[in-house]
Amino acid sequence: MSNLRTVITAAAFGLVAMQAQATVAPQDLVNPITDYKLYVLDNLEQFSSHTREFTDAIKAGDLQRAQQLYAPTRVYYERIEPIAELFADLDASIDARDDDYEHGVQDPTFTGFHRLEYGLFHEHSTAGLGDYAERLMSDVETLEQSVQDLTFPPEKVVGGAAALMEEVAATKVSGEEDRYSHTDLWDFQGNLDGSKKIFELVKPLAAQEDPAFVARIEENFTAIEHTLAHYYLIEGDASSGYASYDKVSERDRRALVGPVTVLAEELSTLRGLLGLN
Amino acid sequence: MAGAAVLMLGALGIFYLSLGSKSSTDTADTHQITIDASGCTPNTLTVPAGAQRFTVINESERGIEWEILDGVMVLEERENIAPGLHQQLTARLLPGEYQMTCGLLSNPRGTLTVTAVAGQTVAADLSARALIGPLAEYRVYLTLEGRALARAVGDLQQQIADDNLDAAQQAWLQARAIDQHMALAVGLFSDLDQRLNARAEYFAEREQDADFRGFERLAYGLFEQQSTAGLLPVVKQLSADVGALRSRLSAQGVPASQLANGAGRVLQAWHDQQQNSEQLSSRARSDLQGLQAGIDKVVSLLLPVLRQAHPLESEALQAANASLAEQVPAADTQILLQASQQLADQLASVNALLASAY
Repeated sequence: MSNLRTVITAAAFGLVAMQAQATVAPQDLVNPITDYKLYVLDNLEQFSSHTREFTDAIKAGDLQRAQQLYAPTRVYYERIEPIAELFADLDASIDARDDDYEHGVQDPTFTGFHRLEYGLFHEHSTAGLGDYAERLMSDVETLEQSVQDLTFPPEKVVGGAAALMEEVAATKVSGEEDRYSHTDLWDFQGNLDGSKKIFELVKPLAAQEDPAFVARIEENFTAIEHTLAHYYLIEGDASSGYASYDKVSERDRRALVGPVTVLAEELSTLRGLLGLN
Repeated sequence: MAGAAVLMLGALGIFYLSLGSKSSTDTADTHQITIDASGCTPNTLTVPAGAQRFTVINESERGIEWEILDGVMVLEERENIAPGLHQQLTARLLPGEYQMTCGLLSNPRGTLTVTAVAGQTVAADLSARALIGPLAEYRVYLTLEGRALARAVGDLQQQIADDNLDAAQQAWLQARAIDQHMALAVGLFSDLDQRLNARAEYFAEREQDADFRGFERLAYGLFEQQSTAGLLPVVKQLSADVGALRSRLSAQGVPASQLANGAGRVLQAWHDQQQNSEQLSSRARSDLQGLQAGIDKVVSLLLPVLRQAHPLESEALQAANASLAEQVPAADTQILLQASQQLADQLASVNALLASAY
C-alpha cells in the first residue's frame, strides 16, 4: 500500500512541476546534449567491440564463453536505449523479445540478442546460431553508423531519463526481459546507469528550477543502488556482475518497485522542467 | 515474484487511469486507434497537419508499443501500453506520409497520411530551442575532430622526429585537412588561429620571423625547403596549441550566431585570398577541400532548421553547398572561385534569417 501512496504523491508533484514556468535558457542545454552524445558514442564503441567478442564466441561454438559474454555485452545497449530505439527496425532486430512475434521463438524473423539467449540458455547450444550472430554484428555496426550521423533531439534525450526507468518498471522488475538467462539485473543496472547519466548532465539546470525535486531523485537512485548491491557477485564490487534474477528475494523485489516507479513518474516531469515540452 | 508483478501492475494502472480521466474531460478531437492481435484499426489514417492527438487502445493480450515512423526513425511513441488499457499521445506533424507500428512486430504496419491544411502555415519553430540540437551536434563534431587533429599532429611529430620527409608531408596534409574542417571554430579565437594558421606575409620578417610558426611554418619547411630540419620544436609547439584549442572549445563552444556567419566568413577569406590567382596551387585546392567538408557539416545542421520557415532560402543554400561539393575535387580555378563566393553569400544571407533564434 505504501507504494501506491508514493505513486499518487509523485503524480501530484509531477503536475505541479509541469505547470511551473521553465526559466532554463535553451542554450544552457547545448552542453548536456553534447556530453550525452559523446557518452552514447563511447558506449556504442564498447558495445560494438563486446558484440564482436560475443558473436565470435558463438561462431566458434564456445557455449560457455558465449553465455558469459551475453549479459556484459547487453549492458551497453541498455544504457543508450533512448537513442538506440529511435531506430525502430534496428531496435527490433537487435533487442525484440519472442513475444513481440506472433509465432514466438519459431518466428523466422525473430533475431538478435533474445534469439541468441534462447539458443544459449534454453537449448544450451550454439548450433544454428551462426547466422543470427552475423546478423547481430552487422546490425550493431549499422546502428553505430546511424547514431553517429544523428543530431540528437533534445526532448528525446531528456525524456530518455524517464523512458529508461519506465522500461525497468515494465520489463525488468518482472523478470521477463531475460527470461532464459535470468540476467535481468545486468540490464536493470544498464537502464539505471543510462537514466542517471542523463539526470546528472541536466542536474545543475534542474536544481536551479526545483532543488527539492533533485533531492528526491537522488534519494530514489540511491535506494535502488543499495538494493542492487545485495546481488553483486563479489560483495562491494559493482563490476563483478550480478546474481541470477531468480535469486532476488521477494522483499528486495518489493523494495525495487517503489523507487523505480517513483523515478519513472518524477523523471517524466524533467522535460517540462527544462522547457522542452 | 508474482506479488511484485501484481503490485507493479496496480501501480501502473493508477497512473494510466489518472491519465485517462484527465484527458476525457478535454474535448479536443482525438484519433482513435485500436490495436489487437493482428494489427491497427484503422490501418490507414489521414489527419491534418499540426498538433494531433491519438488515443491508442490495446485490445490485444500483451503489452504493446505504438510508434509513428518517419522513414527509419521513430518520430513519436507510447511504450508499454498494458492489455485492456489506453494511452494518449499528442504529435506535432508536418505534411507527409508516415508509418505506424501496430503491436507485434510481425503485424503489418499502418499508414498515416498528414495533409497540408489550406491557409495554415505550419508554425515554424525558428526559436532558440530549434538550435539546441544543431549546436550540440556541432560541438560533438568539433570534439571528435579535435581528437583526430591531436592524433594527426602526433603522427606528424613522429615523422618529423624520424626525419621521414615523404611521410611527414603526407601527415601534414592529413592534419591540415582536419584543421580546415574546424576553421570556423578556430577562427573564433584570434590568438590560437594565429598560432596555428597565420601565413608568412603577416609577419614583419616573413619566413624568417621568430613568431612565424604553426601549419604554415611546417609547410614552408616540408614543401618549400623539402626538409624536416629545425621543425621538431615547431611541431611540438603546434601540438601544445592544438591542446589549448581543444580545451578552449570544450569550455566555450560555438555560439548560435556564429554558425552560418562563421562558415561564410572562412569561405570568404579563402576566396579573397585566392581571387587573383590564375591557377590554384595544390595546397590552396586541398585547403578548400578541407573547408568545404567542415562547412558541409554546418549546412547539414542548418537545413532542417531553415526548411520549414524559409523553404526558398534553404533550397538555395542546399544548391550552393552541393555545387561546391561537386566542383571541389577537380574544377577550374574560376569555377571554384565562383562556387565558393556563391556559397559564402548564401551562408551570409541565411545568417540573417537565423537571427530570430539567437
